[in-house]
Amino acid sequence: MATVSGASVKSIVVACEAGMGSSVMVAKQLAKQLKAQGVSVTHAPVNQLADTEHDLVLCHRGLGSRAKQAVPGSVVVMFDMFIGDLNIAKVVSLIQSGDDISDD
Amino acid sequence: MANFIPAGDGGHSGWRASVQKIGGSLAGMVIPNIGAFIAWGLLTALFIPTGWLPNEQLSSMVGPMIINLLPILIGYTGGRLVHGQRGAVIGAVATVGVIVGTSIPMFLGAMLIGPLAAWVLKKIDGVLDPVTPPGFEMLIGNFSLGIAGMLMAILGYLGIGPAVNVLSDTLGAGVKVLVDTGLLPLASILVEPAKILFLNNAINHGVLAPIGVVEAEEAGKSIMFMLESNPGPGLGILLAFWLAGPKILRGSAPGAIVIHFLGGIHEIYFPYVLLKPLVVLAAIAGGATGVATFLVTGVGLVATPSPGSIFAYMAMTPPGNHFGVLLGILLSAAVSFVVAFFILKASKSDDAADLDAAKAKSAAMKSGN
Repeated sequence: MATVSGASVKSIVVACEAGMGSSVMVAKQLAKQLKAQGVSVTHAPVNQLADTEHDLVLCHRGLGSRAKQAVPGSVVVMFDMFIGDLNIAKVVSLIQSGDDISDD
Repeated sequence: MANFIPAGDGGHSGWRASVQKIGGSLAGMVIPNIGAFIAWGLLTALFIPTGWLPNEQLSSMVGPMIINLLPILIGYTGGRLVHGQRGAVIGAVATVGVIVGTSIPMFLGAMLIGPLAAWVLKKIDGVLDPVTPPGFEMLIGNFSLGIAGMLMAILGYLGIGPAVNVLSDTLGAGVKVLVDTGLLPLASILVEPAKILFLNNAINHGVLAPIGVVEAEEAGKSIMFMLESNPGPGLGILLAFWLAGPKILRGSAPGAIVIHFLGGIHEIYFPYVLLKPLVVLAAIAGGATGVATFLVTGVGLVATPSPGSIFAYMAMTPPGNHFGVLLGILLSAAVSFVVAFFILKASKSDDAADLDAAKAKSAAMKSGN
């Protein structure tokens, strides 16, 4: 388990298997929501997460264990739905309020 | 189903992660090159003798692309995943050895030798880098890659090419038996549940497509491209969730339908199935119906439709096959819808619990825990 302060999150990477399909979709949605906070949202294949610079990683629960293996030291938040997900909504609100985000 | 979070835990290891990892690296070699596959698929659909606009000159590009270009791109990408740009270059060089060693499109061979050659070069670089005198980096770097590349290409030609040829023939023969005996629809029993576990790319690009291209090169089309990528079952399932699913999921279903069926991002419906695991039966029934329809009407696609959108499907369908393809998608959607609808209706009593759990979770979220 790792924790990061919502106020310090400036870059988020959304991971999916190929880094070209679902992650791009989620990243685009998230970028719109976090535009005011100046957070950059990118996307990557889950096995190349280690090569990315990020304060926070998002990926679907089905790929969660691989994301954790790839970047054991990072905060990896797992979500369940590709649209209207509660965990993603929570991350957005925590970044907006500047509170701590943990991935327990 | 009181637990809102699906059982697909985020555990820290396990067979699923390992299988995904292997499959993911296979898919990782193919997916970045899908644009080239589409160029080849469109050229094939348009200009081969049975295409829309038969043209002998333009169709002469079809062979070299599938035999040479696409495997080299896969070997290049596979090498890059292991050892950056140098790995990519040696992967491409070594792939040529595999290609000329056989007469079939060498996708499996490229997936093997590309990363292997890059791994060998990585080891060589690991030894040479510390002992390279200043000023000799370029000389040693270029010649170590050149010599290792030559040796890997020879290894590919003599060893891996023929071995993969035998493997491809065996796989192809196995599939032919399934097609001839009409058992191919049973493949859905494996394919559909594996998809839901995010093995979709691994299966489609790692296993089915390499078999499909061999068949497509001979016959101009293959049903192998359609086993995993049919958007029909997902459409039926999402429709059922829209009309009969837990209330909390209904609102997002129409948007998911657009993203899935038109955009071709199948991942979007997996979470719905993970929340109601029994619905996987609907996916299997719909998938098998689709495969059976494709089989009976004798249709195929010229290349992998990726992403699995209805538009990609139509673009990759050869002339005269559109009716069978559309019918298969339609029937698989209908069957999935009916099965999923009844499963969801039957589990209605769980919904109150679901909603409570979701509300509790949402309340917890608002309080910032």
